[in-house]
Amino acid sequence: MQNGYKRNFEPLRILSQSQVEQLHSSTLQVLDEIGFKYESEKVLKLLEKHGCRVDHENRIARIPPDLVEWAIAKTPSSFMVRARDPEKSIRLGGNTVYFMNSAGARYADVDTGEVTMPTLEQNNEGVVVSDALESVHCFPSYTPYFEIGGVPPVMSCPVSCAQRMRFSTKPSRGAQPTDSFIWETKLAQAVGAQLMGCVEGAAPLSLAEDPCNAAFYYLDAGFPIYIASGSLMGASHPITIAGATVSHNAELLAIIVMLQCIKPGCGVIANNFVSAMNMQTGDLNFGTAAISLHQMAYNQIWHDHYKIPINNTGAAFSNSKMIDYQTAAEKLPLAMCSAISGANLIVLHGGVTGELAYNPILAVIDDDIARTIGRMLESFDVTDDMIGLDVIRQVGVGGTFLNTKQTRTLWRSEDYMPKVFDKTSYQEWVAGGKKTILDKAKERTEEILSTHKPDPLTDEQEKDVESILKEATKYYKEKGLI
Amino acid sequence: MSDILKKLKDIVLEFDIDTAESTAREAIESGIDPIKAADALTEGIQIVGDKFGSGELFLPDLVCASEVLKKAFPVINAEFEKRGQETKKLGKVVIGTVFGDIHSIGKDMVATLLYAAGFEVIDLGINVKGEDFLKVVRDQDPDILAMSALLTTTSSEQKNVINGLKEAGLRDKVKVIVGGSPINQEFADSIGADGYGSTAPEGVRLVKKFLNIG
Repeated sequence: MQNGYKRNFEPLRILSQSQVEQLHSSTLQVLDEIGFKYESEKVLKLLEKHGCRVDHENRIARIPPDLVEWAIAKTPSSFMVRARDPEKSIRLGGNTVYFMNSAGARYADVDTGEVTMPTLEQNNEGVVVSDALESVHCFPSYTPYFEIGGVPPVMSCPVSCAQRMRFSTKPSRGAQPTDSFIWETKLAQAVGAQLMGCVEGAAPLSLAEDPCNAAFYYLDAGFPIYIASGSLMGASHPITIAGATVSHNAELLAIIVMLQCIKPGCGVIANNFVSAMNMQTGDLNFGTAAISLHQMAYNQIWHDHYKIPINNTGAAFSNSKMIDYQTAAEKLPLAMCSAISGANLIVLHGGVTGELAYNPILAVIDDDIARTIGRMLESFDVTDDMIGLDVIRQVGVGGTFLNTKQTRTLWRSEDYMPKVFDKTSYQEWVAGGKKTILDKAKERTEEILSTHKPDPLTDEQEKDVESILKEATKYYKEKGLI
Repeated sequence: MSDILKKLKDIVLEFDIDTAESTAREAIESGIDPIKAADALTEGIQIVGDKFGSGELFLPDLVCASEVLKKAFPVINAEFEKRGQETKKLGKVVIGTVFGDIHSIGKDMVATLLYAAGFEVIDLGINVKGEDFLKVVRDQDPDILAMSALLTTTSSEQKNVINGLKEAGLRDKVKVIVGGSPINQEFADSIGADGYGSTAPEGVRLVKKFLNIG
C-alpha cells in the first residue's frame, strides 16, 4: 500500500466550535426546508422509504435532519481503494494525506503557452510520468487530458481510463457522463482494480440522472465513491464564504444520504471544488484567498465533525498560461493550507491555464512541491536521541556538526531536497548553462520517459481491455453518439 | 426627459430590482407612452452594457440590471398589448446548454447580454434535450439558436441537435451558433454550425451580424 504522508499534528482550525455548529445546523435546515433535486425516480422512491418528504413532480426530496445524521454516522472514516498493483493501493481517511494528479483539456507547450489537442502518445506519456512520480498517489477520471486527438468525445472517458490502466498501476477515479461508468467499471474489474466511482452534483442543490445511475452501478461493483459538487461562489453558490460552505455541505450531504440509503456503510470521499468567479468574464478564478478559506472551513467541519474523508481540488489549477511564478503562487498556498487543515487527498500535479491545459513537466515540478508539503506534514520527533544532547556536548563551543554521525545519517530524513529546484551556487549555475527550473524539469521528464516502464497488463487483461473498448464503441454507435 | 422616464432609467443604473415593477407601474399609471418607457429602460441597460464592456462594471452589475428589466418590462408590455401596439425587439434567440451538460454561466452571460442589447431571449436552461430545442425552433420560429457546451463529452450533442434540425426540415429556418470551452471554429465548422463565439460579447456580435444589425 502507498502510505502517503501522515499529518503528525492537530489540523489547523479556523472556526470556533459554535461556528461549526451554526454552519452544520444551517446545512440541516437547507436540506429539511428547501430540499435537494434528484433527477431519478428510483432515488426519490428510495429516499421516500427512508423518511424524506418527496415532491415527485419537481423531483425534490426534503431530507429530515435525523436521516442526514444517520448517513453521516454510516459513512466510514476511512476506506481502501484497491489498485491494479496491491502495493499501490491507498487508504483514504484519518490523518493521512495523498496527492491526486490534476488534468487539462489540452496539451500546453511550456515554452510558448500555446495549447493543442493532445495525441494519444502525449496522453500516454503523461500517465507514465505520473506513474513514476512518488507523490502522485492516484488519478482522477479523464486524466491527464480531457480530450485525445482522434478519439470521439463520447469515448474520451473510457479510452482515458483504459490508458491509465495500461500505463499506471496506481488507483483511479471513474467518470459519470453518458454511461461512461459502465465501461470504466468493466475496465477496472478486468485488471483487478477498484475505482473511486464518481457522483457529481450540479450546484445549486441538484443531481442529474447520470450520476444517480452511476451511483447504483459503482456501488453494485463494490467501489467506494468520490462525490463532488463543483460550483462558483457568486453564481451557483452564495458569494459569502459562510453561505457557500452551507450550500456546499448541503449538496454533498444530500449525495451521501442517497449513497448510504443505496448501500449503508459504503466508503465515500467528499471533494471540495468551489471556485471563485472572475466578475468580468464569468470564468473561474483559481488560487484565491476565498477558495482557501472555504476549503479550510470545510476541512475542519468534515474532518472533525463528520469524520468523513475529504479531498480538496483548489490547488489543482492556476490561471497562469505559463509555468511561472503565478502558477506556484496560486497553487502552493492552497495546497499547503489544504494539507495542514485536514484534507486527505489534494489534487495538484500538472494543471496549467485554468482547466484548459496540462503538461507532465509541471507535474514533475509539482512532485517537488508535494514532497516538500509531505515532509512538513510528517513534522519531527522530539526524543532524547533526536535532541542529541551528547552530540551538542561533543561539538561544544565553536565546533562543527558536519563531521558527526548524526548529520551524516539523518540529513536526508530531516529535510526534503527538491529534485528540480535550482539549489546551485551562482557560479555553478553559470557554469552549468544557466538552467532554469523548467530546463531541469524537462530533463527529468525525459529521463523518466526513457527509464520508467510501468508494469504492463497481462495478455489476457490487454485482450479484455480492448474488447471492452470495442463494446463501448458499438454501444455509442448504436445510440448515434459516434 | 420627464421625471418618471428618468426614474425608469435610474432604476436600471442603480440596479434597483426591488422597485422595478412598482416604478414601471407608476410610469404606466402616469399615462406615459409605453414606447418611451421601454426606451428609457433600454437606454439604461445600454449604459450598463457599455460600462461592463469597458471594465467599469462587473458581471453582478450586468445581471442585476437585466433583472430590473425582467421585472419592469412585463408591466410595460402589458400596456403595449392593452393599446394594441407591438413591442420592439431586434430579433428572437433561443438559447440553452445541451443535454448532459449542467454548466450555465457562459450561457447565462450570452442570454443576459442579448437581452440587454434588445433581443427577445428564450432561455431553455441547462441539460436541454435535443427534442426540446427542436420543438421550440418549430413552435417559436426564432432567428437564432444558440447552444452552449462546457464538456468535451457533451459538445457532440450540438452536432446531434443540428442533425435533428436537418432531419426535421428546420435547418434553413434558423441560424445556429455554438460556444463553450471545448468548442472552436474548426469544431463549429465540422458540425455544420453557422457561427462560433469564444466569449459572450462575441456571441452577441455574431447574432447582430446574422441579423444585419449594425
